[in-house]
Amino acid sequence: MRLLLVEDDVMIGESVLDLLRGEGYAVDWVKDGELADQVLHAHGYDLLLLDLGLPKCDGLTVLERLRARKDRVPVLIATARDALSQRVAGLDKGADDYIIKPYEFDELLARIRALLRRAAGRAEPVYEHLGVSIDPVTREVRANGQSVTLSAREWAVLELLLARPGLVLSRKQLEDKIYSWREDVSSNAVEVYIHGLRKKLGADLIQNVRGVGYMIPKALP
Amino acid sequence: MNLPYAHSLRARLLWFLLVAVVATALLQAGMAYRAALAEADELFDIQMRQMALSLSPGIPEGGQLTPGAGPGDDDQFDFLVQVWTSDGLSLFRSTTHAALPQRAVLGYSTIQARGTTYRLYSFDTGAQVIQVAQDEHVRQTMAAKLALRTVLPTLALVPLLMVLVWWVVSSSLAPVARVRQQVAARDVDELGELAEDRLPDEIRPLVQELNLLFRRVTQAFEAQKNFVADAAHELRTPLAALKLQVQSLRRAADDVSREVAITRLNAGIDRASRLIEQLLVLARQQSAAQTQTSIVDLSDIVKQVLAELMPLAEARQLGIDTQLSVAAAVSGQPEALQILVRNLIDNAIKYTPVSGQIRVALQVEAGYARLTVEDSGPGIGPEERSRVLDRFYRVTGSEVSGSGLGLAIVKTNADGHRAQVTLDQSAELGGLRVTVQFPGL
Repeated sequence: MRLLLVEDDVMIGESVLDLLRGEGYAVDWVKDGELADQVLHAHGYDLLLLDLGLPKCDGLTVLERLRARKDRVPVLIATARDALSQRVAGLDKGADDYIIKPYEFDELLARIRALLRRAAGRAEPVYEHLGVSIDPVTREVRANGQSVTLSAREWAVLELLLARPGLVLSRKQLEDKIYSWREDVSSNAVEVYIHGLRKKLGADLIQNVRGVGYMIPKALP
Repeated sequence: MNLPYAHSLRARLLWFLLVAVVATALLQAGMAYRAALAEADELFDIQMRQMALSLSPGIPEGGQLTPGAGPGDDDQFDFLVQVWTSDGLSLFRSTTHAALPQRAVLGYSTIQARGTTYRLYSFDTGAQVIQVAQDEHVRQTMAAKLALRTVLPTLALVPLLMVLVWWVVSSSLAPVARVRQQVAARDVDELGELAEDRLPDEIRPLVQELNLLFRRVTQAFEAQKNFVADAAHELRTPLAALKLQVQSLRRAADDVSREVAITRLNAGIDRASRLIEQLLVLARQQSAAQTQTSIVDLSDIVKQVLAELMPLAEARQLGIDTQLSVAAAVSGQPEALQILVRNLIDNAIKYTPVSGQIRVALQVEAGYARLTVEDSGPGIGPEERSRVLDRFYRVTGSEVSGSGLGLAIVKTNADGHRAQVTLDQSAELGGLRVTVQFPGL
């Protein structure tokens, strides 16, 4: 899952960035509103974590422009502005959720998971498909009743594929979702993770659609 | 004056006016009473004389009149009439009572007889002496009744006049009472203006001054409220950072990431403490205006601050160039000036990239002492220069996590010393140049 963090405070930014990456999210960080606007134009993100008081262009303006061009990316506002009118304005302008600084990081994570879940059209926190169940909170993966240990990247790839069975994701798309800008991506990284997943979960769970990408089928043949 | 009404205009007016009304009425009544008494006395005298004159044709000798029924029977209005012959023979007596003593004195006299006082008029017709007498007590009673009848209406008017005075005084002072009620009904944070219409000329200026004061207090109040709101908001950011840094530390998996987390947490604590310190400095400056000023040599202060901050500059390998040869005497508070200078130089050190250059210069010129601090940092764009003096304003895109208070402190401090702060670009170093111009002594 790839997140965009918009935060002008350096200390908060670097901590959130590290913490979210530690949770297996691919996170990009921009420090002003204008840049956020440009980046949102260029890339597709799974979630936007938005501060309001930003240099150059206010967070609410970023949000307005985003919604004006019918971008439906989930937006979580994280700000020190706590007045009721500001919270209402934030949600009414198209944000999906609002969290006030200082916040507990666990709460931020829970809200991010809830938004991602809703965006994927699910309500249940644990999802299961073809005998494989994953729990985003505990990061527990079970295949046919057996607990399986995955690396952070393997987990990220599995989560992406399992979120929408039947949908084919190209290698590039998978790379985009699991790596942020500054990370070096080795050319065969995705293949390595797919290989690892097949070894741990069974060879026929993830199918290779030649020339297009990978998918987990809706049902086994 | 320590009278009960000394502090109340209304009580004072009422008291004086009512006393004046009563005193005037009493005086007037007294005078009228006396005048009426004198007039009645005169009237009775004339009456007696007329009566005597009407008897002057004489009473036939031996015509002894027997007192009979008639108005004369009433003791109260009784006139006693006696007629004597010139040789002392009583010809006529109007009452059965004992005779009045025959008196030789003609005209009016007052005599004692029969245990009471009589007013007597004697008239000599030549052949007879006619005497008309009236009981003095009766006369006085009747005169008093008469006089009282003249005085009573005046006295009856007194309460009416008092009510009138009370009404005029009260209604004239009603605007004062109205203003008082308006002020009394207010809450501490209700500082709107009082209505200035329908006020007498004596009170309007007072209310206008009051409104001016309200306006100033409201502004000060607003500024304070904004400051507190800003401060609360600004404190949230370092706290949010601290909270996240603690989370990072808790989740650190290895020694390296733990070390990074601890370093960041330390920086976060430093930032929070700096912000609180700066807030305190700013808060103290509000009350610093009252403290005493003295003559201070600005160059001493700059040297002292430079010595303090040198390690910081060295850590960033900054070159510091100073021109402090002149003594610049200004009037001010040494501590406040130290804070001002420290903030300026500290800012320059913080915002100048490693191995940059800073110049601190002091000039005395045409009655001014001018302190300039320049650096080779990124500077501040012209459009942001006026705003960086505001509290909590941070230059956009700055990598340095400042409190946003440094230059606000410089500005407040300079204002307290009637000094002017100007920001522009350093001609030689390319970064920011801050000039603080103090008025000379």
